[in-house]
Amino acid sequence: MPKSLFVDPAETLAPGKITFNDIPVNAYNKTINEERSRYSDDDLVRIYRDIAVLREFESMLSSIKTQGGYNGIETTYPGPAHLSVGQEAAAVGQAYLLDQNDFSFGSHRSHSEILAKALSCIQKLSEQELMTIMEGFLGGSALRATEKLGKVDDVKELAIRFILYGTLSEIFARETGFHKGMGGSMHAFFLPFGIYPNNAIVGGSAAISTGAALFKKINGKQGIVVCNSGDGSMARGPVWEAMNFAAMDQFHTLWESHNGGMPILYNVFNNSYGMGDQTRGETMGYDMLARIGSGVSPTQFHAERINGFNPLAVIDAMERKLEILRAGEGPVMLDTLTYRYSGHSVSDQNAYRTKEEMEAWQAIDPIITYRQGLVDAGVAGDTKFEEILAETKERMTLICKAASDVEISPYVDFKKDSAVVERMMFSNEKVEKFDDREPEVNMPLNEVPAYKKLKEKERAPIVDGKPVSKMKLFNLRDAMSEVIYDRFYEDPTLIAYGEDVRDWGGAFAVYRGMMDAFPHCRLFNAPIAEAAIVGTAVGYALSGGRALIELMYADFIGCAGDEIFNQMSKWQAMSAGILKMPVVLRVSVGSKYGAQHSQDWTALCAHIPGLKVCFPATPWEAKGLMESALKGTDPVVFFESQRIYDVGEQFHEGGVPSERYEIEFGDVNKVRDGKDVTILTIGAALYRAVEAAKQLSEKYGMEADVINLHSLVPLDYTKIIESVKKTGRVVLVSDACTRGSFMNDVAKNITELCFDDLDAPPVVVGARNWITPPFEFDEYFFPQPGWIIDAIHEKLVPLPGHVAENGCTEAEALRRAKKGV
Amino acid sequence: MANAVIMPKAGITVESCIIGTWEKKVGDSVKIGDILFSYETDKASFECESTEEGTLLEIFFGEGEEVPCLVNVCAIGSAGEDVSALRPDGAAAVEEAPKAEEAAPEKTEAPKVVIESTATGDKSAVSPRARKLAERAGVDASLATPTGPNGRIIERDIRELMENPVAAVKSEAVAAAPAVTEEEYTDVKFSGIRRAISKSMHTSLSTMAQLTHNTSFDATQILAYRKLLKNAEGDLSGITLGDIVLYAVSRTLLNHPDLNAHMLDDNNIRLFKHVNLGVAVDTPRGLMVPTIFRADEKSLLEISLEVKQLAKECREGNISPDKLTGGTFTVSNLGNMGVESFTPVINPPQTGILGVCGSVDRVRKGADGSIQIYPAMGLSLTYDHRAVDGTPAARFQKELGYNLENFTTLLAK
Repeated sequence: MPKSLFVDPAETLAPGKITFNDIPVNAYNKTINEERSRYSDDDLVRIYRDIAVLREFESMLSSIKTQGGYNGIETTYPGPAHLSVGQEAAAVGQAYLLDQNDFSFGSHRSHSEILAKALSCIQKLSEQELMTIMEGFLGGSALRATEKLGKVDDVKELAIRFILYGTLSEIFARETGFHKGMGGSMHAFFLPFGIYPNNAIVGGSAAISTGAALFKKINGKQGIVVCNSGDGSMARGPVWEAMNFAAMDQFHTLWESHNGGMPILYNVFNNSYGMGDQTRGETMGYDMLARIGSGVSPTQFHAERINGFNPLAVIDAMERKLEILRAGEGPVMLDTLTYRYSGHSVSDQNAYRTKEEMEAWQAIDPIITYRQGLVDAGVAGDTKFEEILAETKERMTLICKAASDVEISPYVDFKKDSAVVERMMFSNEKVEKFDDREPEVNMPLNEVPAYKKLKEKERAPIVDGKPVSKMKLFNLRDAMSEVIYDRFYEDPTLIAYGEDVRDWGGAFAVYRGMMDAFPHCRLFNAPIAEAAIVGTAVGYALSGGRALIELMYADFIGCAGDEIFNQMSKWQAMSAGILKMPVVLRVSVGSKYGAQHSQDWTALCAHIPGLKVCFPATPWEAKGLMESALKGTDPVVFFESQRIYDVGEQFHEGGVPSERYEIEFGDVNKVRDGKDVTILTIGAALYRAVEAAKQLSEKYGMEADVINLHSLVPLDYTKIIESVKKTGRVVLVSDACTRGSFMNDVAKNITELCFDDLDAPPVVVGARNWITPPFEFDEYFFPQPGWIIDAIHEKLVPLPGHVAENGCTEAEALRRAKKGV
Repeated sequence: MANAVIMPKAGITVESCIIGTWEKKVGDSVKIGDILFSYETDKASFECESTEEGTLLEIFFGEGEEVPCLVNVCAIGSAGEDVSALRPDGAAAVEEAPKAEEAAPEKTEAPKVVIESTATGDKSAVSPRARKLAERAGVDASLATPTGPNGRIIERDIRELMENPVAAVKSEAVAAAPAVTEEEYTDVKFSGIRRAISKSMHTSLSTMAQLTHNTSFDATQILAYRKLLKNAEGDLSGITLGDIVLYAVSRTLLNHPDLNAHMLDDNNIRLFKHVNLGVAVDTPRGLMVPTIFRADEKSLLEISLEVKQLAKECREGNISPDKLTGGTFTVSNLGNMGVESFTPVINPPQTGILGVCGSVDRVRKGADGSIQIYPAMGLSLTYDHRAVDGTPAARFQKELGYNLENFTTLLAK
């Protein structure tokens, strides 16, 4: 909603029609002889060699999976083998012009894409550069293992062995794999060659690669990004969200000096099948996939449908698309036709296609037809190609032998080092800035009007014994803003985006006034597309930047389920710590807006390994945690509550410090001291717990320790245990629906850790297991002070004279559980 | 329609009772007033008369089981009737959802004031924290009165027990140990009273610093006075030597408040302004100690009559449990059994107990140097050295002896 763009009714309502440009379909028609002016004979033969290497690699995997060995070597592995036998020419054609500055992302069927890109880079890099890369990768351990295959004088041959060995031992889950076996077949990658993560989620790479393109665009990095996927992924919402994100008008209308299209190619290796469903004719309606670009942008993504069985046709198309991308007119799209002879996986019975169909495609297999073309044109004789095949097989046998040998290629030893994966889960680093250049801003920080105003506010709710007016009080929202401003002026790679964060200032005004300070390329409105927001941030972060994103309501986490739960959370460990994930995802727990806008989903996020989860409830906590989150290198889901954006700091002495400070993730915040009962809280429930503590003291002479768990993951139990050992009684309160809430996990741990000190089992007071009813009925749904006191009375220690009004007897708890409510 | 008979509440402080023997069995026809079963509190035994007429359909608790007061014990009605609704089994209500659902809005379900749990005593769960505290303090957690949810003994109950061990009335029977062939012995399960005595005596000796002083006094005057009364008319003739001692104790104790007291904990003692005199009574079920409240305000005759009434109620087993508590000092009389001196055991949390022994003839040198024979009656005072030192205890005994030797003077006061 930028005011600079006038929504003109006259223009909007004017008659007209939408026109489309023609979309080329298999337009390439050159002969080998015609192309000989463009390629040397060596180039043309090398293209064949690369196809042969790819084919042999996957033939080997197929043989291992189906026959338990390859070329006399007995070996196998339990992991997946999603092969793309038949698609090699397309992969080689795509990679031919790409170098290590171009990033490629792929799918679960991407062995050939990885190897093709690697072979292309090996060809382009000098021997010196290759040695530096191989020596530098994981401290040279993969190179040392490769050297055990035998001495090679040719560095390029060494590099080919290196890349084949690293990929195969990754597939074999060996410690010598490119990411120590933690990714495996479907997630392999090798960053030094610009080979970025492949993804086991269909279409999972779309938003991530779009984020990588965003990183290149914003930070002025060289190269383009290739997002590879299969035709089956074209049905997925997040893929459409990503393409729409990449096509946003603002890249041309509002980004001023950064105006220009996103440097990304959406390439679909279209083999006609999504696993077993036939996309054209059965599960899609686009007829030809290249049509999709026309639905997203007037540029039609410059889409073309090309023959992926001819490597030269693919190179030809790539050349033209790269030109468009380098000219800042992306995104582009290729519908690269190909065919997969192998099944979806080794268990595929090919029930969905006929033998005739497969044979018809095998008859035009590029490994035959392309070779024949070269022979016919006199580029090389059959002996040359037979030599290549023999050499390829020999090399592959060597690789297979080495990767199977546990002496050369050991597994990670969990017995010796049980914490091996544990150490990969979080990077736990502090990084002031990811680039040394000056942060791009519109004015010095101390001249930003909103920042100045914020600095003038009173930092405690009571000053000289008088309550501070709401307008003058430094509140929870201000606490976060202050840190975001500070960090924006330090880390040039930090960007913030989400739904209505710019002109609106965020639905809850955390970004209010920031548009004065930051250009569009650092603070911009994203489309209402949660999967794209989170997915692009993941791509942005793993490419080397820092992203602060917002989903407005926590309830929208579901719309970005894969991106949060599978992508943001997992890549650090799946890459064995090679990738970092400095993404802070802000989500706000609503109130007043009913069942789809009021949910505390901390438990969902805390359940997923690899995410840090926090939920500050006071301004002091919010500032310290935001500072910590925005300096860290780990993904953080930053929960906020709309009930308390306006609160001042009531607990920390002196209010919120104006100087910078960090609260370490894991800490808890004790806000009240007592000896009789411990009340643990998450989120806005803190304030109701404090009220309950007050009533307990006044009516029953009972003093409560109140501790707010502002960090859920990680969580240091030390202070909690200390308190529970003292009081022997603990109530855990949060606004999350009780069943499966995070507090149940805490309660279980307390029971184990403090059993002998407990006077009663820990009792969890959460919201009912219903939809959130309208705001008018809040007191029947969300924990109230009275509920806390009733729980103490009924389950911990009966209070003389107390009459429970909201209690829950054991019989009632059983009934509710049986009913599922 | 079948109706239930409930476990009666045998006194304000009684929370549960143990079923003794069932006089009726399932299938028997029962009339109102028929004895259904006997039951015991920790201090007394009673019989429960039927409040319903019909066939005894189901017995919910067997002999030896402890039943909270006012809980259904059995069902009486016409043969074949469904009694499941009367079963005091909370789970049954949960089992059937449809009815429970309508009848179970949370507010009506919410339990009201819970101060003392009514749940089973011996089976009471003890919270881990309470157990740990009890171990540290060296008290038996099972003696605590549970006040936690679901009849659980919680920390505050142990603290209460530490302050007020009088609650020590529940116990497990001592297990028989040696492996002997079955014919050589009979295992007898303790009655509630026996268990209470066992526990109370053990607690007494294991938690206090008890010691006994033995003295004697010249009983010439009280024996003469007793003889005088015997010839009097009416109730006066029933006054015994024991009554006389009780009277003297009730007056003498007022000058020795440390012995008319309760030890609250290691640091506190409660001194009473009146003398509530516990009197040990032998009954067929075992020792019982009813209380003469405010004995210091009662005449010798009133004391005498009250003792007789209390002893009668004890022997008949119909004494109110409320009369079996509240003593501030106890007198135990074994004089008529020929005991010359003994070590009475204090009834906690009292600080002293006086044992009254028989009289024997002794000789002494008179003021004129002649040898005199006189009846000497023994007094054995056990006191808690934590509360009272030896000299003050001896002073009490001395004054008591003096008052008994000069009983008519005491009476005149």
